[in-house]
Amino acid sequence: MTVLLWGMVLALLIPIAVACRPTNVWHRLAAFSSVSSKVALIILVVSVGRGDWMLGLVGVIVLSAGNAGLLLLANLLREVER
Amino acid sequence: MRNLLPLLLSIGFRLALWCLLTSDLSWLNLLIGLVVALLLPRARSRPLPLRALLLATSRSLLAIPQAYGEALRLIFAPAVEEREASEPATDRALPLLVFLDVFRITLTPFTIVLGLEDDGRRYRIHSLMPASKQDGSRL
Amino acid sequence: MQGSLVDHTSLLLLGAGLTLWFWGSWPLLENRSYLSKLHALSVADTLGSALMLLGLLLRIPGQWPLLTLALLGLIVWNTIFGYVLAACSLPARDSTQAGEQR
Repeated sequence: MTVLLWGMVLALLIPIAVACRPTNVWHRLAAFSSVSSKVALIILVVSVGRGDWMLGLVGVIVLSAGNAGLLLLANLLREVER
Repeated sequence: MRNLLPLLLSIGFRLALWCLLTSDLSWLNLLIGLVVALLLPRARSRPLPLRALLLATSRSLLAIPQAYGEALRLIFAPAVEEREASEPATDRALPLLVFLDVFRITLTPFTIVLGLEDDGRRYRIHSLMPASKQDGSRL
Repeated sequence: MQGSLVDHTSLLLLGAGLTLWFWGSWPLLENRSYLSKLHALSVADTLGSALMLLGLLLRIPGQWPLLTLALLGLIVWNTIFGYVLAACSLPARDSTQAGEQR
């Protein structure tokens, strides 16, 4: 379980690194969406590992609220770029 | 009946989400969920053909295992090629059906819907396929 | 015996999900076209995370309603977000990047 968690954090570092690099804004948005779902999954795994379900509830809420903000941002960017 | 179907569908969907969220099936909780489901604003509903809806839903559900198969084939593919294609849309008039179609196509890793073209009669699709056909990595 | 079997299956699912994560996130670092990155991300974030959630579901079956909700939300949101990202980036791609990618 600990190995798994480390692996997940390592995988999380990939999109974070991409988001920090100077790239196109769309690539960055994709990286951020990836960060958001990865973080939610990590929260869930941590909550299972600790047996603390209140933490898991937070993860579930993050997952089901989803990327609504990013979705709006993408639409906004399209309108701006037009 | 056909006019009632969208209403029942949306109420049922909201009630199901409420029950999953609260994980409590007592009468009081069900009543609260029903009230919330009725109070939330609804989109203007249109008559919905049941058969088409069931077909689209079952195809979307079938797309999930198919997506795993495609993901495996993509992982083991030696080379990939990108292509743009288009596919005829089923029905422009029903937003729910369009949504289910877009969901089904985008869920599978080979294809992503880029948008509607031709005044909504076709989907514009970007696809990423394993390059060689005789590769034979059927899993 | 039953318990250990479930444990192993769940670990297997979690590991498979992690593998998909790595495979799908790696193309982000490379210099590839935007849409092929999105294809890979849909593998990683939707399918890989769904496998992980299934693994967690095997581990704590008591919390199935919330985990089912999470699974539903994850699949639907990520898929639709992939579509929105692809569709919204289209005008930008057409004007600025079309020459660059040829």
